[in-house]
Amino acid sequence: MSTSGVGDRLDHETAGQLILSLHALLSATPDEPEAALAELGWAEVRAADPVTATRLLFTEHGRVLARSRLLDDVLLAELAAVLPPASGRRALLYPHPGDGSALRSTDVILPRAVLLAPLRQIDEVVLPATTGHGFTPLVVAADEVARAAVPVEGFDRGSRWLLVRDFPLPPEPDAARPGTVWADAVAAGRRALAAELIGISDTALALAVAHTTDREQYGRPIGSFQAVRHRLAESYVAIEAARSTLGAAEADRTSWSAALAKRAAGQAQAVTLRAVVQVFGAMGLTAEGPVHRYVTRAAALDALLGGHRSLTDELGTALLAGADLDPVVAVEADQ
Amino acid sequence: MTAPPSEATLDLEGYHAGLRDYLSSSSVLDRWRGLDHATTEDRVAEHAQLIGELFRAGWSRYGWPVEAGGLGGDERHRAVFYDALSAADLPVPEQYSLLETLGPPLVHFAPDLAAAYLPRYLRGEEWWGQGFSEPDAGSDLASLRTRATRDGDGYRVNGQKIWTSHGATATRLVCLVRTGTAAERHRGLTMLLIDVDSPGVTRRPIALASDRNELAELFFDDVAVPADRLIGAEGKGWAVAMYLLQFERAMYAWLSAATALRRLRELRGQLTGHRLPDGAASRFGACYADLVALRARSAATVRRLAAGEPVGPEASVDKVLLAQVETGLHDLARDLPATGFLLGDDPAADSWRADWWYSRAATIMGGSAEVQRTILADHVLGLPRERGA
Repeated sequence: MSTSGVGDRLDHETAGQLILSLHALLSATPDEPEAALAELGWAEVRAADPVTATRLLFTEHGRVLARSRLLDDVLLAELAAVLPPASGRRALLYPHPGDGSALRSTDVILPRAVLLAPLRQIDEVVLPATTGHGFTPLVVAADEVARAAVPVEGFDRGSRWLLVRDFPLPPEPDAARPGTVWADAVAAGRRALAAELIGISDTALALAVAHTTDREQYGRPIGSFQAVRHRLAESYVAIEAARSTLGAAEADRTSWSAALAKRAAGQAQAVTLRAVVQVFGAMGLTAEGPVHRYVTRAAALDALLGGHRSLTDELGTALLAGADLDPVVAVEADQ
Repeated sequence: MTAPPSEATLDLEGYHAGLRDYLSSSSVLDRWRGLDHATTEDRVAEHAQLIGELFRAGWSRYGWPVEAGGLGGDERHRAVFYDALSAADLPVPEQYSLLETLGPPLVHFAPDLAAAYLPRYLRGEEWWGQGFSEPDAGSDLASLRTRATRDGDGYRVNGQKIWTSHGATATRLVCLVRTGTAAERHRGLTMLLIDVDSPGVTRRPIALASDRNELAELFFDDVAVPADRLIGAEGKGWAVAMYLLQFERAMYAWLSAATALRRLRELRGQLTGHRLPDGAASRFGACYADLVALRARSAATVRRLAAGEPVGPEASVDKVLLAQVETGLHDLARDLPATGFLLGDDPAADSWRADWWYSRAATIMGGSAEVQRTILADHVLGLPRERGA
């Protein structure tokens, strides 16, 4: 669709070229793409059309299973207003997925949290802590956090995540900040993660289509069996539902719609990867096959900042408690 | 009160604002709020009255061409209209769903027929049925056998249609009939507008398991149909049907989503003060989230239709998402004791039961759930064809 009326928004052709560039760039530097992105002029692209730029970047990040800490920048941009000026490169500490979307701590200790990547070349770490006093973000030296961090040996063995345990907190420098700042950061993070989950699901589905087209049993491609075809069609529907919900959230810019977008993308990865593992047969389970890497990354990113099941429950609970049922989507909205 | 057809109200946001004012200020409309009907005939008759009122006020005429009784505008006006009705706690009249399916192909392929008959539909004076399915042609539509043979200036139609929504009360039928040979399959089909009161047409209402006469069977015994009742050229019925299906899969989905949102709101109202079973919040959240996804998807499709872009096989996504919402919402209403679904004898409980049965049609009509998935597998994913297909 054309970009009616908004002169700076990326048109389809430019977006298509950017996707190719991002794909190549993130494939080449999946861990630390920052320098290559700067060389590409990514800052200008993002300044011109931040919404589309973020979606394209994180969709490709998902497609190639990149493992950078680019998500940090998305949340840190929202937090910048309540933090002291940065003295060097910053990273962000995330709530442990088991704790939902708030980094809960006491006044003296942070029980558990997650980093997306090792703190190499990082000077400061932002702790977006929620204590009994409210949202009280802190900035601490990276080497202090690094001492409390160990590599995650979990389901997603391809990730570079680190687990931070029992981190002692410095005395609070000042009073609580508005909780809406953290809510906005989470919303921005959820939109980016939704794009990334959609990218992962896109690639996994494409792999399954290719595999079921090539693989023959009973003298015909297994992709010609209705049971296989319909499962993959359902995966496509779930991915498109997520894409549409993310589009609505990008236009709407609220925490509510961001939660819906993350929920839809989490749901899409669950539906898609369940189907993809099945249609790959034994190859879906093996270490040498390609599928497991998508399964585990999607599971980890689904859980980060709120998994689809807990988001569904939270949305439903809020609605039953009287939250506005008004539609998020209006047909006259410019998209 | 008549809405002026000025530039200001044709502008989509201006239209929406004016419409909202009207819906919130017109006390006449209260008559249609919170109603439960014991029979389909009652509901359809009440909804016809509402259609008449909305036409008199002028707001239902946007999105339809002036030549066909409308006030101009496009599909987005109609989408805003259905949405605003639901937001104002009014039912979207039943007959609008077939207006959305049958109106656009009439305007596109038979503007003279649209000018002659669509204004009556818009005024609520009559409504039509869609004569596609036959006893031996359900999902396999191209195998239909109702035949139209040339007879002087017109046609003679013989055969049978079945499972026609609103068939028991419709004034006219948009019928897909065979003018070529059976071997020609979809190439030998023609679309005709047939009056139900023509000599030789008989009908038998078909009750759903809820005892509501939602469907009907229609028999054609040498029914004379003038040639000016052709919608599109003879032998081009499949192209008309495919054009129609875009609207059936897109506009109908948007309209149904608007109604589903109102019903979800009503369901929440019924739960107040009741203890909810485990998992109820999650299911309610899932139902709402699925509804938002459907609306997001459908809004984009409506915009494409309004821009005159063809909506291809990917419209099956809209259809699958709609079916998911319809079945999810009504299963939720069934499973929550507060609705009285199983044992309640109040009209609201009876409506949920009747609606539950109708919601089972969401995966059947307009191309079954299986047909939609096959379309996506073939034309969007490009998977190898099924054997024998």
